Amino acid sequence: MDTIISTTKLNSNEIFDLMTQFITEVIGEEFVEEMDITMESSFTKDLEMDSIEIVSFSEKIKTHFGEQIDFTGWLSNMDLDQLINLNLGTIVNYIEECQ
Amino acid sequence: MPVITVKKRGVHIQELNTAAAETLVLVHGMFSNLSVYYFNIAPILAKHFHVVMYDLKSHGLSERTSGGYDLESMTDDLSDLLDQLNLKSVHLAGYSFGGLIALKMAARFPERVKKLAIIEAPDPGDDKTRDIIDDYSREFLEHYVTNFTDTTKVKMGKRQMERNHRMYEYLFHETTIKSDMIKERDFFTAAEIAAIPQEALLLYGKESNCLSAGKWLKNRIKKVEMLEVDGDHNVPIQQPVSIGNLMETFFKN
Repeated sequence: MDTIISTTKLNSNEIFDLMTQFITEVIGEEFVEEMDITMESSFTKDLEMDSIEIVSFSEKIKTHFGEQIDFTGWLSNMDLDQLINLNLGTIVNYIEECQ
Repeated sequence: MPVITVKKRGVHIQELNTAAAETLVLVHGMFSNLSVYYFNIAPILAKHFHVVMYDLKSHGLSERTSGGYDLESMTDDLSDLLDQLNLKSVHLAGYSFGGLIALKMAARFPERVKKLAIIEAPDPGDDKTRDIIDDYSREFLEHYVTNFTDTTKVKMGKRQMERNHRMYEYLFHETTIKSDMIKERDFFTAAEIAAIPQEALLLYGKESNCLSAGKWLKNRIKKVEMLEVDGDHNVPIQQPVSIGNLMETFFKN
């Protein structure tokens, strides 16, 4: 179990870099190299992540931040349209606010 | 990443609210994975229960296996998983093929299953279901995605299409899934269905092509209630909160 609970507060650029690292670990470096990942990148349309990959991504956030961020709970309040249109910037903002 | 070893094979599981007194296990459908529950349905149920989700063999993040897709083997897998997690008896819910696994589990291991919720379990004797497997090709997948997945609003990009195509190719051409499914064609008429002792809830989409299968089960299972929800076979994706709330009420009371 690769549990790393981070207690250091990260700024939005650092959170963005961390999220990009998680995305790379989930979908693979060969796919990420072909993408231009930005704050506007949507998970389903731009990054083409499917639901099980978003589960893996969510687990990485849980493992890294622990109980300070209820990422799955936050996602569970979204409807399907919101999930489909979810972009990286929204997640970065959410994590920054929760810290 | 919680991939645990069960009988020498890697099984991806996710658990919520491990401190709860009672456990509810959720079984996903064929060609799907545990994410069908993870985002909406499981959190609703986890308000009251220890929720366990797992990826079936060769699905999601669980290890690939060439054989053992018949209901006896699939329920052996589930029984082994319960042993591994030290769970003697649980509430059980299954969607589509997972509903068939849940029914078989309730029939084979009645002492391990308390209440039972079945969502959109198809009749394995229905030729239409098996024809999809027989007719599979990349063109079929592209046609299917273009014409039928619009009910879930999720569009598949090139990388996802490729991933799905590889999974279908593997399951259809390198495993026994086709022949194992044919073995199950009489499952709905078997005496074991009528003998299921648990209290059961059937949830089907009003527009589903599996609705007749639900009505058949309603007439076969002794202690059963059937509810029709707006939607088709994809109803847990279309109406996750309604499905979660109905299951919550059923399992809680």
